[in-house]
Amino acid sequence: MPSKKAKHRKVVGKKKSDRTISRRDVLKIGAAAGAVTVLAPSMLTSRKAFASGDPAEPVICATAPANSPPTTPFRDTFTAPFPAIPQDLYPAPTKARNESGGEAERADHQRWDDFLPDIEYELEARASTHTFHSDYSPSYIWGFNGKYPAPTVLNIYEHPTIVRFRNNLPLTTTTFGRNEITIHLHNGHHGSESDGFAGDFFGTGFWKDNHYVNVYAGYDAIPPEGDAKEAMHSFWFHDHRAAFTANNNYLGLNGMFLVYDSKDPGHEFNTPGSLRLPCYYGITDFPLILTDKIFCATANGRTELFNAVGGAAPGGDKWIVNGKIQPKLTVRRRKYRFRILNTGPAKTYDLTLIKPDGSVGTMTVVATDANFLEHPIPVDAGANAGNSNSTTAPIVAGGLRVSVAERYDVIIDFAQFPHGSKVYLKENAPQFVGVASPVTLPTGLAIENVLMQFNVVNREPWFPADTPAIPSTLCTYPTLPATDNSFEWQFVRDPVGTVPRLFKINGLAFDAAVPVHSIVQGQTEEWLLNNNVGGSAWVHPVHIHFEEFRVLKRFVNGVEVPVPPLMTGRKDVMRLEAGQGALIKMQFRDFLGRYLIHCHNMNHEDAFMMVRWDIVPDALALRESQQLMLAHRREEEERLAEVAREERRLRKEEVS
Amino acid sequence: MKRRELLTGVKGKATFEPHIASPGVARFTNALLRTQENQEVRFYDDLIRGKQVVVNFMYAECHGACPMVTSTLIKAYQALKPRMGRDVFFYSITVKPETDTPEALKHYAKTRRADLPGWLFLTGDAYDIETIRFRLFGMYHPGFDLDSAMHAGTLRIINDATNCWTTVEAFASLKTILKHISWADPPKSYAERWAESIARQELINKEVKRYGYRRFA
Ligand SMILES: [Cu+2]
Repeated sequence: MPSKKAKHRKVVGKKKSDRTISRRDVLKIGAAAGAVTVLAPSMLTSRKAFASGDPAEPVICATAPANSPPTTPFRDTFTAPFPAIPQDLYPAPTKARNESGGEAERADHQRWDDFLPDIEYELEARASTHTFHSDYSPSYIWGFNGKYPAPTVLNIYEHPTIVRFRNNLPLTTTTFGRNEITIHLHNGHHGSESDGFAGDFFGTGFWKDNHYVNVYAGYDAIPPEGDAKEAMHSFWFHDHRAAFTANNNYLGLNGMFLVYDSKDPGHEFNTPGSLRLPCYYGITDFPLILTDKIFCATANGRTELFNAVGGAAPGGDKWIVNGKIQPKLTVRRRKYRFRILNTGPAKTYDLTLIKPDGSVGTMTVVATDANFLEHPIPVDAGANAGNSNSTTAPIVAGGLRVSVAERYDVIIDFAQFPHGSKVYLKENAPQFVGVASPVTLPTGLAIENVLMQFNVVNREPWFPADTPAIPSTLCTYPTLPATDNSFEWQFVRDPVGTVPRLFKINGLAFDAAVPVHSIVQGQTEEWLLNNNVGGSAWVHPVHIHFEEFRVLKRFVNGVEVPVPPLMTGRKDVMRLEAGQGALIKMQFRDFLGRYLIHCHNMNHEDAFMMVRWDIVPDALALRESQQLMLAHRREEEERLAEVAREERRLRKEEVS
Repeated sequence: MKRRELLTGVKGKATFEPHIASPGVARFTNALLRTQENQEVRFYDDLIRGKQVVVNFMYAECHGACPMVTSTLIKAYQALKPRMGRDVFFYSITVKPETDTPEALKHYAKTRRADLPGWLFLTGDAYDIETIRFRLFGMYHPGFDLDSAMHAGTLRIINDATNCWTTVEAFASLKTILKHISWADPPKSYAERWAESIARQELINKEVKRYGYRRFA
């Protein structure tokens, strides 16, 4: 091993050598005696199969209600989800799968010795209840540690982490959820065994350790901690179970994951390198986790999430922010940061800040999809109305368009408003409210369009003072190396006249066993993401796992158009409206294995618009991988041809 | 096929009770359909209730996808043979009931060697069939739902006893199709899942040892 890595080991992660013999070792000894297959299941069944405190399964409404029950606006207070609490895991995490301890199958953690875990968490997926609005009864949900949204994981770069995802979901359910999970950290840079690959789901009673190394991409090239220009901060994690992602996310299996570093340190003190943006979690820096749901008053007098088996996740008529419908937040007259995240499953948001006089206020975007912009971009209806992130006209002048899985970190300066002002976040599409607003709204704003309310008050002496002005330069982006290879990804729903007319990528439906494209580790590729095939009439927010990309070019119906300002930053979700395309550039460093590209409209994703691509170690492996892909395709083509031949023969027989 | 076999296969007591949350007749309808044997069946009561089923839409004169789908289903049938007609059933429903009489479907099934116990070809009232298609395959989107060709390449997999619905592209590999059908299987015991997990781990280990990373396992 090169000395730089050996040296680095001291920097990253704590040594576990001080730990005495682990439980796994004990069990290994048992395995050596041939006891493991007998011992393990009995040991595990003695553990409770699912939490004894599970709520009763909900009574699901048979048919969709015309609308959710009414809710009083601004009745509930908006809060940040609780931070997840680090703990010492038992049994201790191991490089190899801890089979006898009940871990689900996986490959060894890559680069375990380079990134010995320093911080450990356990997040248990289980049935629980959550009150989405105080006018409602608690509703049945699936949540991590029983919470919706999940506890937020707050991490620090250079401190590798293990999150143990435990599946204690019920064995049977009346909901449309699937009790098998595989958790993706969007958009973490780590080994594929920790990436929540859609085919690697595990069932109730198992757990799996995801190893999040928390180093910047480019670790091999720029030790000891990777390329700081690759810094990302606002991540989120969610279930990625093939064909059931929308269902399980609708039921609540997602949460926020923030990683701090010197630029974005989780505090506002004047420390070296800090941008001094609003950064106290839950005080001046809030996730803004958006989702839409529809509720139903059930026969037993409760308010439950409407969901029905056999359909896409339903479109909601309630816009939910951090688990609450139309909440309010008291803000002091200073700058705040909101890390906007759209968890879908399918809806796009067009958000506008509405001032007390009804005019559009400014939100300053500082980060897109977890990456700081080089220069902040203000979004409003005035001089900056053109800063849309859509190549078609923005739906709302000054609106910030947020597709599923996109994150936008925005700064709102409430110092401009007098004490007692009420400011609103508006969503362009109306929701169902059913109760008049308890306060007079600004002119032109309907209560149906209000996502949440800010009550501006003077800052108390104890409350953190305002942060300095937003720096005009936030970071510099890494220079991308020359392109090694190009590839095109076509997002298509098969056109009319052909079958089967599904949502696909390059004509292929998701198959966990076969990659569609392979890349040699360390190479740089240009990918054309194309939604201009077969007269597409659909919007696809395309997500690529593993590393961030840059947008080189944008196309509308094949004609190059300027890249909109909000798409000039590093990103991992590319919204493609009908007829649009984008040329992006991306690197594939540090790890190997299987990753995904997919539409993040979770209903499209579950309807097969997702394929696998691989990072392979060298040119030889690439050739092998390509041969295997070809062989697989040839096999399929032969199968089709054979059936066609047989059919022709039968038809001829029938005619004669 | 002997008539008795058909009767036990179709009208025999369901292996399992419907799941407590099964949408039942309200979702599936209890439409009166006819099999290729010209036998009358009720869609929910006789065909869905308590069973694990694979449903596809087709028509006898379809030269495009249908033969391919039928051929794939035959292969899936062979793989699932011990369960076919007991707790797993295939239903191929025509989208052209006006031309696809029971006799036409019988002829189609016979010539394609798909006239097998536990696999029914079904026809009926056009309105009922359209309703069933919407209820089973509906995406609540006119672009999908008003196009009857839309679902020809999709297999709908439903287990009424576990209330699990899933779907698979009919052109997918046999392995993938069988995997998706298994997603609707009755829940397995922890011990069974444990054994499967150990088997998968062995495959993973073998691949990692050979290639340095996971490939197909
Ligand atoms: Cu899509």
